[in-house]
Amino acid sequence: MSAAAIEAVGLTKRYKSVTAVDDLSFRVREGAVTGFLGPNGAGKTTTLRMVLGLARPSEGTATIQGRRYVELDEPARTVGANLEVAGAHPGRSGRNHLRALAAMAGLPGSRVDEVLRLVELEGAADRRAGKYSLGMRQRLGLAATLLGDPQVLVLDEPANGLDPQGIRWLRDFLRAMAAQGRTVLVSSHVLAEVAQTVDDVVVIHRGRLVQQGPVESLTAAGAGVLVRTPRSVALRAALEHVRLAVTEAPDGALVVEGADAAQVGEIAFAAGVPLHELAARSTSLEEAFLALTTDAPPQVGP
Amino acid sequence: MNRLIAGELIKVRTTRTALGFAAAALLLVLASVLVSILAGHPDTIEDKRSALNFGNSISFVLLLLGAVGATGEFRHRTLAPAVLIAPDRLRLFTARTAAYALTALAVAVLMAVVTLAIGIPLLGGESGPDLAGGDYVRIAAGGLIVTALSGALGVGVGTLVRNQVFAVVGIIVWTTIAEPLITLADDGLTNYTLSSAPTRVGAGGDAEMAFLPAVLILVAWTAVFCVAAALVDRRRDVE
Repeated sequence: MSAAAIEAVGLTKRYKSVTAVDDLSFRVREGAVTGFLGPNGAGKTTTLRMVLGLARPSEGTATIQGRRYVELDEPARTVGANLEVAGAHPGRSGRNHLRALAAMAGLPGSRVDEVLRLVELEGAADRRAGKYSLGMRQRLGLAATLLGDPQVLVLDEPANGLDPQGIRWLRDFLRAMAAQGRTVLVSSHVLAEVAQTVDDVVVIHRGRLVQQGPVESLTAAGAGVLVRTPRSVALRAALEHVRLAVTEAPDGALVVEGADAAQVGEIAFAAGVPLHELAARSTSLEEAFLALTTDAPPQVGP
Repeated sequence: MNRLIAGELIKVRTTRTALGFAAAALLLVLASVLVSILAGHPDTIEDKRSALNFGNSISFVLLLLGAVGATGEFRHRTLAPAVLIAPDRLRLFTARTAAYALTALAVAVLMAVVTLAIGIPLLGGESGPDLAGGDYVRIAAGGLIVTALSGALGVGVGTLVRNQVFAVVGIIVWTTIAEPLITLADDGLTNYTLSSAPTRVGAGGDAEMAFLPAVLILVAWTAVFCVAAALVDRRRDVE
C-alpha cells in the first residue's frame, strides 16, 4: 500500500445530540487526486476542518504526512487549504489579502505575484475582494492555497458556483497540480464536477464512510451481466456451481457478478439452458454515487 | 512571532477601518483641545493638564478599533486562513493583540503631536501657572500607554464576544451606563473602573490616584480580558 498523505482514523464530531461525523476512517494516497464526495450535509466540511485542525474531533485522529496539522512545522509550506468558509475581507484587495497571508507564512512578496499569475487573477488583484465574482473568489482562495508551494492541497467544494468555463478551468488546474506530483483532496457534492479529474474517491453519507477506492470501484460494485431465461433455477445452479455470485432482479432476470457476458453464455450453453437475453450491465458513476448516498446502509471501508 | 505581527499589521493597514478610526480619534482630540482651552480657559495646573489629556475617553475610539478588528475576523470569516498558517491559536491571538496595540500606539503618536502642537501655544495665552516639562512628558507617556492598552483591550473584548454589534454596544453600554451606575452604588469603586482609569493615566495621575497605580489598573483590565480571550479562543472551533 502506498504512503498516505492524509489519514483519518475513527474521526468523530458530535455537536450536542447531533453526530456530524461518525467513526470515519480513510486514507488519501500521495500524488493522487482524491474526490471527497457526499451529498450536502454529509459531513465533508466538518471532516476537512478536523483534518486541518480548525475543529477538534470528539474522537479519533487525522494526520497529514504522519503528523497532526497543529504539529506541522511550516503548515503553509506543507498543506494548502481552501475551505468553503475561508474568506477574504470584502474591503481588502485580493493582492493585499495574499500579502498578509504571505507575510504571516514568512514568504516573500514576490510569491504573491506568482500565485496571482497561476490562477489568472492578476488583472483583478488590486480590486477589493468584496467586488469579486464567486469564480474570482474561488481563484483567490486557490491562490492562497498555493502560496507556500505545498505538496498537499485540500479544497472544499472549489467548484461551487462556478460556471461551465470555470469548472473546466478548475479541472485543468487540478490535473496540472496532480501532474506536478501533488496530492489533492477535493470535496464535492456533485460527482460530475470531479469525476473526470479524480483518481480515487472517498464517499461519505450521514457522516459515515460508504465507499473508498479507485474511482472505477464506484461503478464496479453495480456492474455485472444481465441474463434472462425461462429456466432461471437451472441457470442459477450452473452459475453458482462455478462460484459466481448471482442475484435475482425483481423482474425475474438474473444478475451475475464476477464474469463477463461470454463466460455466462458458455456456462448456459454447457448447462443446456436457453437464453432470451444476455447483456453486460453497466452502472454510470452518477447512478452508483446516488445509490451509495441515498440512505444506503453504511459499509465498513477497507 | 514577528512575521505573524507583520501579517496582522498588513491586515490592519489594508482596509479603511483603521483609517476611519484614526481620523475620528484625531478629530476628537483636535476638538477636545480647542474647546477645553478656548472655551474652558484653564487657569490651574490640573485644568491645563486635563485640557491636553488626549489619553482620556477619546482612547475608547482605539478600544473600539481593536474590538471591530477582532470581531471582523469572525464576521468576514477571515480567521480560518490565518489559523491554517498559524495553527497555534495563542500565538495568533498574541500577534493580533500586538498589531492592534502598535496601531493604536501609532495613532497615539499623531494624537500627541496634534495635542501638543496646538495646545502648547494656546495655553501660553492663558492665565495661571505654566505646565512644567515633566507635566508634558507624563501627559504624552500616559496618552501613549492608555491608547496602546486600549487597542489591545479591544482585541480581547472582540475575541471573547465575537459578534461585532454586541462587542461595540457592550463596550459603550458598560463604560457609559453600567460603570456610572455601579459607582453610584459604591463611590469607592470609581478608582477601579475602566472609564476612569484612562483619564487618570492620560493626565499623569491626579490627587485621588497617582500615575503608576492608575496604569496598573488599566493593565489589569487589559490582562483580564486578553487572558480570558486567549483561553476561550484556544478551545474554540474555527467557524
